[in-house]
Amino acid sequence: MRKSALQNSANPPLTDRAEFYAPARQTRAAAPIVPAGSVTGRSLTVVIAIMCFLACLTAGAVYLVNRSAAAWFEDIASEVTIQILPIENTNIDKRSTQVALFLARQPGISRVRPLSVKDAAGLLEPWLGKSAKALSALPVPRLIALEIDRSAPPDMQVLSANIENSFRGVVLDDHRHWQAQIRTVTRSLALGGIAVLVLVGAATTAIIVSATKSAMSSNREIVEVLHFVGATDTFIAREFEKHFLALGIRAGLFGAGAAAAVFLLMPIITQLVGGNAVTAAEIRRLVGSTSLDIPGYILLAIVLVVISALCMLTSRYGVYRILHSRH
Amino acid sequence: MIRLENVALRYGRGPEILQSVNLHIRPGSFHFLTGPSGAGKTSLLRLLFMSMHPTTGIIYVFGQNATRISPGKRAQLRRRVGIVFQDFRLLDHLTTWENVALPLRVIGKRISDYKEDVTDLLQWVGLGDRMYSFPSILSGGEKQRAAIARAVIGKPELLLADEPTGNVDPQMARRLLRLFIELNRLGTSVIIATHDYELMKQFNTPRLELQDGKLQIADKLR
Ligand SMILES: Nc1ncnc2c1ncn2[C@@H]1O[C@H](COP(=O)(O)OP(=O)(O)O)[C@@H](O)[C@H]1O
Ligand SMILES: [Mg+2]
Repeated sequence: MRKSALQNSANPPLTDRAEFYAPARQTRAAAPIVPAGSVTGRSLTVVIAIMCFLACLTAGAVYLVNRSAAAWFEDIASEVTIQILPIENTNIDKRSTQVALFLARQPGISRVRPLSVKDAAGLLEPWLGKSAKALSALPVPRLIALEIDRSAPPDMQVLSANIENSFRGVVLDDHRHWQAQIRTVTRSLALGGIAVLVLVGAATTAIIVSATKSAMSSNREIVEVLHFVGATDTFIAREFEKHFLALGIRAGLFGAGAAAAVFLLMPIITQLVGGNAVTAAEIRRLVGSTSLDIPGYILLAIVLVVISALCMLTSRYGVYRILHSRH
Repeated sequence: MIRLENVALRYGRGPEILQSVNLHIRPGSFHFLTGPSGAGKTSLLRLLFMSMHPTTGIIYVFGQNATRISPGKRAQLRRRVGIVFQDFRLLDHLTTWENVALPLRVIGKRISDYKEDVTDLLQWVGLGDRMYSFPSILSGGEKQRAAIARAVIGKPELLLADEPTGNVDPQMARRLLRLFIELNRLGTSVIIATHDYELMKQFNTPRLELQDGKLQIADKLR
């Protein structure tokens, strides 16, 4: 309305020196009202990237340990070992056959697999070596491996009682002891991991709070002008938090990417630091596979998202707090 | 539209700059605010713009008690007021065009909706060839016109201008005055703080004169 009235008014344009019409810059797609460089410098990006890297490493490691613990658990839970201890003046082979036959009749057992003397020797080999003499001189217990029918597992207590009532010197080992230990170890690792994540989160928050403060004070003039032209605190906070979100994403990508590379290259790294194939196998036995699967990488992505959101929300809160203390 | 009741102002423990000022600005009015340098013209405009609270007294802006107003409400009211600062307050990292568009951007308008308005206005105040320059390379008079353009782009109901002709030659001053008069005809109330008597002579309108902390309606010049 006013525009057309102004154009229709008797006033000619104050200048129309066409020769001076030399724009220094064409209209840009909305230049940021708060310049990015005044908010998030390179060192801040590096710090947040390192935070994200540490968080991703921790999350990934906890994930790996939990995953291989779960796999172990399955193996252990589906296998039960029966030990037949040697008793003087009895034929151990005959006894084990009897026990095996007895077990085959019990419910909830899908396979009975007696281990031969050779098998037992194989298990002892790491301690005794290959000497057959040493073996024959020892009273070696016989073992029977049971595979549990997972759809209808037997009651271990009843099974154990049955066996021990029917035979002398026969022990059922359902690995319960191991399960409890694995559970304790994985739980403590997970707790430690969560503690590290909380610390990294707290450090990130503290860094962003102080970065927001300094960004606000170096852009005080802009904030003032924005208030003069009628900007709400929400608008101003958004102008700042944009940059912090971009910072979080940028730094987060670096950090998470570096962490992903570490997990990807872990086998090569172990070799480089002097490990051989045996070391790699040992590590695999301890923590399972050292490389992440798809859900593992999704976990890293979630860490990235959380770090970015943390950057954004912390700065929003910081801007509000500073503005309110000024009003 | 704006009402001051027994307003007094002092900075810290300093002297009273304003003493029991009573004033009523009606919609569609045009006032010069005059007085010697240091009389408190800028201070009075700051009060009207809600960037300061009076030491005592009450100020109503568009019917709202401006002395107890939430920051959100104040932002809403400021969108209805355009202000030209004595020191312009342009943002150096934005182009002249972007500076002028700022009030519209801040209220969430889309650039496509105001693109032409901003360009037209800049051309009209004679900054057509300076649109994409940064304020740091503008002359004092050009900055002044950019600041005026920013104040009027949002079609304010009230325009406050602090010495808006202080940096321009008499001819340009006349043209800027015509811009203000044009706006006033379209319904904007205008208050211009100035001690430029040549300027005031050109437009026959009430003068608010500040002297020793008192405000009085002075005779028209001429
Ligand atoms: N922020 C301030 N702090 C302290 N004193 C101020 C401040 N602003 C203005 N003054 C004082 O208030 C008086 C009026 O100033 P001002 O309103 O700028 O007058 P004018 O605009 O009429 O020249 C002056 O004496 C000035 O020194
Ligand atoms: Mg002044």
